Amino acid sequence: MASHYEAPIREPLVNGEKSYHDVTVDVAAPVEGRANKQWWIVFSIALAAFLWGVGCIIYTISTGIGVWGLNKTIGWAWDITNFVWWVGIGHAGTLISAVLLLFRQKWRMAVNRSAEAMTIFSVIQAGLFPIIHMGRPWLAYWVLPIPNQFGSLWVNFNSPLLWDVFAISTYLSVSLVFWWTGLLPDFAMIRDRAVKPFQKKIYSLLSFGWTGRAKDWQRFEEVSLVLAGLATPLVLSVHTIVSFDFATSVVAGWHSTIYPPYFVAGAIFSGFAMVLTLLIIMRKVSNLEAYITRVHVEYMNKVILLTGGIVSVAYITEFFIAWYSGSNYEDYTYLSIGAATGPYWWAFWALIICNFIVPQTLWIKKLRRNFAWSFIVSIIINIGMWFERFDIIVINLSKGHLPSSWSMFSPTFVDVGIFIGTIGFFFVLFLLYARTFPVIAQAEVKTILKSSGERYKRLREEGTSLAGAAADQRTALKPVAAKAPSGKTEIDKEKQSQLLNTIGAFDPETDQADDLKKINGIGPVMEKTLNQIGIYKYEQVSKMSENEYDLLDAITGAFPGRAQRDDWAGQAKNLIN
Amino acid sequence: MRVFVKIGIVLGVVALVASCQNKSTPNYQYMPDMYEPVGYETYQETRAFRNGKEGQLPVEGTIARGHKPYDYPNTLEGYNEAKLNLKNPTDSVTAVSEDYLKNGEELFNIYCAVCHGDKGDGQGVLAEREKILGVPSYDDAGRAITEGSVYHVIRYGLNAMGSYANQLNEEERWQVTEYVMTLKEDLENK
Repeated sequence: MASHYEAPIREPLVNGEKSYHDVTVDVAAPVEGRANKQWWIVFSIALAAFLWGVGCIIYTISTGIGVWGLNKTIGWAWDITNFVWWVGIGHAGTLISAVLLLFRQKWRMAVNRSAEAMTIFSVIQAGLFPIIHMGRPWLAYWVLPIPNQFGSLWVNFNSPLLWDVFAISTYLSVSLVFWWTGLLPDFAMIRDRAVKPFQKKIYSLLSFGWTGRAKDWQRFEEVSLVLAGLATPLVLSVHTIVSFDFATSVVAGWHSTIYPPYFVAGAIFSGFAMVLTLLIIMRKVSNLEAYITRVHVEYMNKVILLTGGIVSVAYITEFFIAWYSGSNYEDYTYLSIGAATGPYWWAFWALIICNFIVPQTLWIKKLRRNFAWSFIVSIIINIGMWFERFDIIVINLSKGHLPSSWSMFSPTFVDVGIFIGTIGFFFVLFLLYARTFPVIAQAEVKTILKSSGERYKRLREEGTSLAGAAADQRTALKPVAAKAPSGKTEIDKEKQSQLLNTIGAFDPETDQADDLKKINGIGPVMEKTLNQIGIYKYEQVSKMSENEYDLLDAITGAFPGRAQRDDWAGQAKNLIN
Repeated sequence: MRVFVKIGIVLGVVALVASCQNKSTPNYQYMPDMYEPVGYETYQETRAFRNGKEGQLPVEGTIARGHKPYDYPNTLEGYNEAKLNLKNPTDSVTAVSEDYLKNGEELFNIYCAVCHGDKGDGQGVLAEREKILGVPSYDDAGRAITEGSVYHVIRYGLNAMGSYANQLNEEERWQVTEYVMTLKEDLENK
């Protein structure tokens, strides 16, 4: 019987009887393989959209904001809509990796890496808008409180737009650090598997010399927890601050205390929808069906249902308060011609249908476990959440306190082009990521393999022992037998003794032989040769220097200079440690 | 050690860039959005006007608000007439106060004392250094200056002295005139 108790009610999180090695191979496959034609096609489309967006951005900045559809009444429209939309999407990643970590949700492990990547890439998109919507973006550095020659002229810390600067930049940097620390063991895995020298070099740099010692892992876990603890309030505060852009204003329809939690809920809502959109495709394309399973989709759909519910309650609250407040302006914005029946009725009803009605179908178990329906709903939600931001910004601005300044907004091709450009940029980054990064946190998945893997759950259910169940024929180590040197005639006795004098001899009676094959550059044949010379231990190898390498080359006569090039001594030292 | 090399490289680049500034020409500017005026600045050169100067002459015979034309012509007859008839138009009993004379003194020391001397005795710095010769004293009996003649000379200039109408407005000219009269009195009573 297994000592571990895992409730049998829980569905397996890793399907397909995977072993540790299977996880490694499956995760590394997209990185080690070559991109197929479809990838290149999609990448080209994304790149084209990105370049088109870059063109639009350059056009805007060089010509002026007037190329957008903004007017004097509606000074914010697509720019801030897209900004809030992208920031919102970015929130799911940190929620998945931080909040779900704090709640010990194991199912997050298969999705957190991509969700965090999505966070980072979408925050980058979001970060573009505050810059490019400026009239003079080349003076954007003035938002930073830097001592300067204007008598140390500083920023006013009372503006939520300034808080945005701090919120977004902090959010991006913390997310990046969180993501990267999580990537270290996985990069190290790819580094250790890499066969091409260039790949090896790159992943050695990326993995920061991760060796996976117990102390490293202990600290790794601590850092993850601390960062998760920091990132959680950050997630809540960042979108809160974004909501302050509106909530602290005096605009009817904006000035509302419900915005902070309501925006955060909306952010998680749209973020999870985006994660679903991406992962449902990714599990197919990258052959990760065993890791991103129906259960994961269902769990995410449940979060969507929850946050969608919160958002819906917020809509109802807004309407109720608009009526209950007795304020003519509020009432007007929400109830009379303002939103539902005014010139923007289509945007309003798009929001209600996409965010309020369609996600309710997820109450039905069959639908929320259905990949195709989840995919459709996730896209609808993202459309709906775009409309939510558009409605909040444009409808409320279009009919303000003075009827003489009522206005309509229609976007120009540049507004649309920049939005398309950011979508293209996002997918360019995400597609590159999917081909070069381990898209599943394999190190984490391996920690739940024995508790939540299909195979182990089955073994536990059968009541059989798990002992030895982790062994994989391809990776199980065979014990290295310490044979006495067979005394082949080719070995130059004089040089051999000279060599052994400096690096120390091996006594098969007391010493244990090490697996020299772990040293990069020593294969089974070379190991045998070394054993013949009398070298069995890392300690011996680690003592080698130039002189010894020469002796070794002279004895073996094979691959001259190889040992020095690969730095066997250094590697052996690392292995001893 | 490598860190120092890197810091050195960065500082070197900064020094290199900073060395691009040439003290004999205006420095480089970053995005001079509103540095150059769109409208015409007072003394600027411009091709929009006939002589390339922004400052164009007003039409002859026009009178700006707050100004009065000066009726005595710039001739010897005008001078004599002004000497006889011209009086300070300010009510001299009440308006010519200590402040009034103080302003006159200040203006005198700026514009006049360099030749006429602080005391009006013709011993200004330039006269002492013999850059200019023949500056008369205010108590010169042959000239017998009056309020009107002083004002007239400041307005138009006389012989070697140029007009100060550009430097001093009407009120200031009268202030200087009053101060000159006190200087004359001081010189005569010595």
